[in-house]
Amino acid sequence: MTDTPAAHPTDPFDPEAVNAAEGLDPVDPAYAKVLRVATALNLIPLAIGASLFDWLLIRHIEGPYGLITALAWLVAITVIATFPSRRVSRWGYRIGDGQLRVARGWLFRTDTIVPFVRVQHIDVGQGPVERAFGLSHLIVHTSGTHNSTVTLPGLPADLAAAMRETIRRHIQTDFA
Amino acid sequence: MTDAAAVQAAPPPDDAADWQRLHPATLALAIVKLGPRSFQFLPAVAALGFTGNWGYIVPAILAFLLISLLAAWFQWLRFRFRVGDDEVVIESGVLSRQHRTIPFDRIQDVSIEQGLVARALGIARVGFETGAGGKENDASLDAVGLDAAQALRRTIRAHRSGEVAAPAAADTPDAAAASDDRLLFAMSPRQLLVAGLFNFSLAALAVVGAAMQFFDDLLPFDFNVFNPRDWIDLAGQYGLDQWVIAHRWIAGVGAGISLLFIGFASGIATMFFANWGFRLTREPRTLRRTRGLTTRTDVAVPVKRVQAAILITGWFRQRFGWHELRLQSLASDGEKERDHQVVPFARLDAIDPVLAEVAIARPGADAAWQQSHHIIALGGLVGALGATTGGLVVVAFGQALGWFGPVVGGLIAAASLFGVRFHRWTDLGEQVAIRRGFWKPKLTLLPHASVQSVDLKSDFIQRPLGLATLVFGVPGGSALATHEIPAIPLATARDLRDRILTARARA
Repeated sequence: MTDTPAAHPTDPFDPEAVNAAEGLDPVDPAYAKVLRVATALNLIPLAIGASLFDWLLIRHIEGPYGLITALAWLVAITVIATFPSRRVSRWGYRIGDGQLRVARGWLFRTDTIVPFVRVQHIDVGQGPVERAFGLSHLIVHTSGTHNSTVTLPGLPADLAAAMRETIRRHIQTDFA
Repeated sequence: MTDAAAVQAAPPPDDAADWQRLHPATLALAIVKLGPRSFQFLPAVAALGFTGNWGYIVPAILAFLLISLLAAWFQWLRFRFRVGDDEVVIESGVLSRQHRTIPFDRIQDVSIEQGLVARALGIARVGFETGAGGKENDASLDAVGLDAAQALRRTIRAHRSGEVAAPAAADTPDAAAASDDRLLFAMSPRQLLVAGLFNFSLAALAVVGAAMQFFDDLLPFDFNVFNPRDWIDLAGQYGLDQWVIAHRWIAGVGAGISLLFIGFASGIATMFFANWGFRLTREPRTLRRTRGLTTRTDVAVPVKRVQAAILITGWFRQRFGWHELRLQSLASDGEKERDHQVVPFARLDAIDPVLAEVAIARPGADAAWQQSHHIIALGGLVGALGATTGGLVVVAFGQALGWFGPVVGGLIAAASLFGVRFHRWTDLGEQVAIRRGFWKPKLTLLPHASVQSVDLKSDFIQRPLGLATLVFGVPGGSALATHEIPAIPLATARDLRDRILTARARA
């Protein structure tokens, strides 16, 4: 599967393996914290909803009261604790050779290459959670219907700005 | 209506004489459009009826008509446009005003469309193709006189060709020699008839069925002309049912023949209505297509904007060599179609010249086609399994109808296993050819230069098999029908990706 020497770990479940074998740089580890907050913001309301459902309905129909609440909180806490760091380790990127490469996911892995000359415009965005951790995300727009936006999250703010400048220079030299 | 081409030199920005209104027949069009819109009014009428206020219905309808007409009139009054030296300016809106400037340089081409009513009134709808994404970004003038529309198009085309004639000629040296408009493809009524015969479709039955549902609740009397049961009841009253049971073979054959007749007739009718007077001409920068029996459309596809070519055929018509050619361009073809149908029905020797105009070649007979891995049948097999288990569960609950599940599941499984063999692709150096489908074979010709981004996808099923799927980001077309080469060996996929991206860098 790989054409790189076996200097890298070969365990396919090693988070380092996927990126290193494909010659990709990892995103900032602090992105795991951003993802954790985002996941928590999504899941905790759901868990609260499940608890309410349990309290309002299951208790009154004399069902197994407490089961849903316990399960919901167990799942939510497990997901919040373990998933973000795993997801972050699957993101990888490579900038150079006149192209931006972004890879993500493991179960369904997608490895996208956008040549700089095909970039229509570039966004650097920062959400409130990202700002708290000093991170930004880079969005590259192409004119393709599929992949009209390619997002690369988890970049330190200054690196994202530097990448934007790199891509911008390429776009300019292409038109000159 | 003044001639839109009569452009004065450097008009002052607010010269009232320069501004033009839409054709007054716009109001007539507004009245026509009221027909379907008055359906929105039905609930209100029903509400008035239920509450017993019958006397208010007529005044309410009159008020509705009056307000609609007043609104249309106001809109007409507040809509004006100006054709300047190098731009079109459109001002519109009654309450919120909109001022839009479209430079001629940004107008790819001007499309002219005439519906049935518009043709009777001698007006046309002019659309400005700017290549901006999305329907709402393209400006249009709903109704101008036909000659004014054509003059407007001439003005813009003259402006464009005067300015960019030289670079355009350099880009397409073979096409530059023909500066005049050339007819590339036309359809005679006889060809339309043949095409219509192959266009056999029972979709008309569905329309009748829908009408049956719709009129069932609406008609005040008890007999619904669209409902076969009412006809059967009627027939029964005259003893016709006895006759049918006695001669059921004749009745069956009659039903079959009438089904065939409906299928062929609707196929021919749709073909005639859509493609009557079909002409595809090559103009300096565009391919222009005019067609239509009731609604005539005049659409231009800028040659340089063509991203990919798609050849579609059918399992049956393929045996006679009939194909359909569509071009994927930045703009979409009307509201329903994403790709531009430039040849509805022709043999390959008639299609090849059109492909040559957009600098796309069909793979020759010696092309080295490669197959996708058989694993792509998995999706269909999972679906088949679902249908089978679902059906069997229903059977277990005592519903004989559930046997449909295993039958359908078997068909799906067979179709997906069989269809896998038709997923092929080949790299022709400058373009990729992707072929798929058995029932409706489809050949996509994708020039490397059109590819904006490449996805290399693999998942937990493909990865252990050493496979990957390539997905190409191409401008235009539908977001649902992406161009992809599924399940090919990973090394091959990487190699092809590199070749496509480096070829692009050379261009």
